[in-house]
Amino acid sequence: MQLIMTDFSEKYDVVVIGAGHAGCEAAMAAARMGVNAALVTMNADLIAQMSCNPAIGGIAKGHIVREIDALGGIMGQVIDRVGIQFRLLNSSRGPAVWSPRAQADKQNYRIEMRRVLEQQPGLSIKQAEVIGILRDNDRIKGIELRDGRKIQAEAVILTTGTFLNGLIHIGENRHSAGRSGESPSLPLAESIKSIGFQWGRMKTGTPPRLDGRTIDFSRLEEQKGDVRPTPFSFQTTAITQPQVSCYITYTDETVHQIIRDNMRRSPLYSGQIQSIGPRYCPSFEDKVVKFPDRLRHQLFLEPEGLNTNEVYVNGLSTCMPADVQMKLVHAIRGLETADVIRLGYAIEYDFVHPTELYATLETKKVPGLYHAGQINGTTGYEEAACQGLIAGINAALKLKGQVPLILQRNQAYIGILIDDLITKGTNEPYRMFTSRAEFRLHLRIDNADQRLTPLGHQIGLVSKENYRRYQAKQERLRLLGEHLQNLRVPVESGKISATQALKRTENRIEDFLDTVPPALRDSLTWEETKAVETAIKYEGYLRQQSQEIERMKKAESRCIPSHFEYQNIPGLSREIVEKLTQIRPATLGQASRIPGVTPAALSIIHIYLEMSSPKKEKTA
Amino acid sequence: MPTLIDDTIAAISTPLGKGGLGVIRLSGKDSCRILLSLFPSGQNTLVDRVPLLGNIIEPKTGEILDQAIVTFFKSPRSFTREDVVEISCHGSPVVLKAVLRLLLDSGARLATPGEFTMRAFLRGRIDLVQAEAIHDLVEAQTLFQAKVANQQASGSLSRRLKPIKESLVQMISLMEAGIDFAEDDVSVLSDEVVRKRLQIIKNDLKTLYASFAAGKLITTGMSIAIVGRPNVGKSSLFNALLQDDRAIVTDTPGTTRDLISETIQIDGIPVRFIDTAGIREAENRVERIGIDKSLEAVADADRTLLVMDGSEFFTEPDQSLCDRLQGYAYTLVVNKIDLPCKLDLTPLRANPKAIFEISAKTGEGIRGLKQGLFEESGRVTAREAEEGLITNVRHENLIGESIQSLDRAEKSLEAQMPHEALLLDFYACLKSLNELTGETTVEDILGNIFSTFCIGK
Repeated sequence: MQLIMTDFSEKYDVVVIGAGHAGCEAAMAAARMGVNAALVTMNADLIAQMSCNPAIGGIAKGHIVREIDALGGIMGQVIDRVGIQFRLLNSSRGPAVWSPRAQADKQNYRIEMRRVLEQQPGLSIKQAEVIGILRDNDRIKGIELRDGRKIQAEAVILTTGTFLNGLIHIGENRHSAGRSGESPSLPLAESIKSIGFQWGRMKTGTPPRLDGRTIDFSRLEEQKGDVRPTPFSFQTTAITQPQVSCYITYTDETVHQIIRDNMRRSPLYSGQIQSIGPRYCPSFEDKVVKFPDRLRHQLFLEPEGLNTNEVYVNGLSTCMPADVQMKLVHAIRGLETADVIRLGYAIEYDFVHPTELYATLETKKVPGLYHAGQINGTTGYEEAACQGLIAGINAALKLKGQVPLILQRNQAYIGILIDDLITKGTNEPYRMFTSRAEFRLHLRIDNADQRLTPLGHQIGLVSKENYRRYQAKQERLRLLGEHLQNLRVPVESGKISATQALKRTENRIEDFLDTVPPALRDSLTWEETKAVETAIKYEGYLRQQSQEIERMKKAESRCIPSHFEYQNIPGLSREIVEKLTQIRPATLGQASRIPGVTPAALSIIHIYLEMSSPKKEKTA
Repeated sequence: MPTLIDDTIAAISTPLGKGGLGVIRLSGKDSCRILLSLFPSGQNTLVDRVPLLGNIIEPKTGEILDQAIVTFFKSPRSFTREDVVEISCHGSPVVLKAVLRLLLDSGARLATPGEFTMRAFLRGRIDLVQAEAIHDLVEAQTLFQAKVANQQASGSLSRRLKPIKESLVQMISLMEAGIDFAEDDVSVLSDEVVRKRLQIIKNDLKTLYASFAAGKLITTGMSIAIVGRPNVGKSSLFNALLQDDRAIVTDTPGTTRDLISETIQIDGIPVRFIDTAGIREAENRVERIGIDKSLEAVADADRTLLVMDGSEFFTEPDQSLCDRLQGYAYTLVVNKIDLPCKLDLTPLRANPKAIFEISAKTGEGIRGLKQGLFEESGRVTAREAEEGLITNVRHENLIGESIQSLDRAEKSLEAQMPHEALLLDFYACLKSLNELTGETTVEDILGNIFSTFCIGK
């Protein structure tokens, strides 16, 4: 299609389609980096809507939020301002797997996010339905709206969530929808498919939501937040919202029998739904069928906000018909007379295989087009948000003619997430776990700023003021470390440094704080002193991992040209050539992580890389 | 990623043979340090490109292993442009293996096939523009990997390792579940349980490691498995090759249920022949075990002799036997040529590497078979024999490393370190075992967790 300037009514540098968790970060990052951005949403009242559970963070996800914050993203600050229960998970374990989680006031989260976006200069919010992606000679040109407008853009970021051909299932009933009560994106889905991407379908689900006034909390186990809340953002100094409790109840065999009796009416078991859902977030139907020996399943009752009685039943995701859902709820202890405000449902939606993307999240087929969030086959607010941030950053960097930002696996969970997606693809909704991180001990919440804030500052996303605050913190940590190094403490065999003493299991940093000069001591937060302790206690393990990181970096430093012709290399099997041609790994290291690529194949590629590269002094 | 690492590699670089000399080569920045740990007389006397005579000493015991001539080639004036050390020992495979073992214990890594050449190329020492040279390199690596893959699929080491690795993976999964799904109703493994499981796994690995030392698994030189349908004369051939009456020979099919092996020297290379049970559809369990062992022996052996009876017609079972041996280098031996010939090989779909006609009874063709195995059609080269040895050293080495990882984990456990720190060494252990049995990935561990626990709020 040939497009001319006059076709367009407006022009932006970056247009973001969708204002969920990915879209908000993408638009905000682009605007803060100094390019003109527009955020287009079907409903401006539902910006940053939490379509599933009312919580942010959790194990590994909390790490991601910290990383978003350290790079200059906004999710951490917003949740800190509207969080109504904070807990530091895994606090009985080592600091590498401590992870913050917070219950959010859903409504306030939307309001606060919109307020933040509206305050940002250079960012326009638009309510409209996008019906098409405009291209010219395979370069992005802009977007087309249902109201007839065409908007010109240098870069387009797609964050469509579950809206592409969304189909909701509740029992035998199904209807097209983007989310409960919202229209799907149908023409946009066709427009994206016409580009020729490899695409597929995924499924996810939510539980019923109840009226809190009709729940008998007195019979349930109360779960309170931490007395000392752990915020997500390095900028947050205090949690200000009133804090509330969650409640725990359990299902029993009576409840399970209701599922078994009605199994054929669940779309998941009648054959009505074929797409794959996440194994770690199974429907209640799946729990009962796949774990028949479990006599009870835990359910968490989570408040949806301070200004509503609505309660989310975490753990009861189901798409049974309405009558069965009612029966199910009423058979559960404490919920015998509960009113159901919203029914649980399953939703199927289109996604584009993430192997279509570069590490910048730009599509290989259409320069200037970026994908972030569920469209890439991921699940989770945090996973979506970090992709939005990276897409927004890279769209802006490209427009400014600067080198892209690609985080490595040893730098951030965000780097692992993107590398996994673009290298291996995914067939089920992808969620982050700490076990996916081969350098887990290095990727902690306490050092997310050390890992990423200098980068965020370099690209212009971390403000001068925040960067100065970061530097001051690093100085505090350094001084405390120095103090401990110089402090001599008595042991059986004489005197050793406090640093040495801290390596012993029985010693804690709290034992030595009395000796710290008051000016320094009072300026340190609890988390900061713990960070210093961690660096000392786990020094040996950290060193062990550092060696592996160095090895990985070597492989990552050997770049493969983007148009390297694998088919001309003798000795590579056709299967391997196909995989490499599809994924187009950027480095030899990435190539080594593609399933099925053998060490022999890597050796051959390495040889051909050396042969085709200009003669240079060989080092190392 | 072996090609990118700048560590120090070692390998035996001469063909294995009795008499003469055997050379072990080291390349990499630590070559000197590693050499000196077992060649103390070189401490102040080692000079670039000057051969030096001295004793190879086992560092722990001080025992003298061999007298050797050592030559140091300083970077960049060496084959690989790295520091290179060449150790000329007396050629006995046992000595060579022991010296190589010591070098690995001192920090060298066993070179992959073609890795010296690869390094020379990557350092710009040799110009590899000729496609032929690259193909040799590629072939060396792919053949090696194919062999390792075959062993991984059905080798006896792999079978013994499988249950051990499964308990390791199970323990890792339980520990990971406790970390990643703390919010779910997942019970956390206590340190006491981890300690018990760790010790069981370590003991099993130690037993396996000890069997290398006792020489039960390891062969020096090359091994040749003799297989065939019952009563085609496998044991007769075995005896003819060994020229004695080691195996029982009867006319009742299925007598040789256990594997019998003997080593002889051919052209100075030790060759171990393994007599196996007759392969046919087994009718009873005992026989079944024998046949499993035969197929295992084929996977472990460097070469296979498939024996057929020349006085019988070619039948479907013969064909299916050939099919089963697809993927292994096998030589077809037609026995009983002293009787009238009925065997017609035209229907044979897959080609063996070579065909020999013999009579185990009269001894006709046996000498030709022995020679042929090494010279003409079979081309069982010394390189293959060397790779056989290397494979075994590699296995021993990896199991040794896996035990060391568990030792470290045990120390961490005593120091009450959290599970994510222990896991560092459990993953190191898994990595060593992965190289022996095929890869277990994070996805596999997650899959294991999701099928064991009901995860998901």
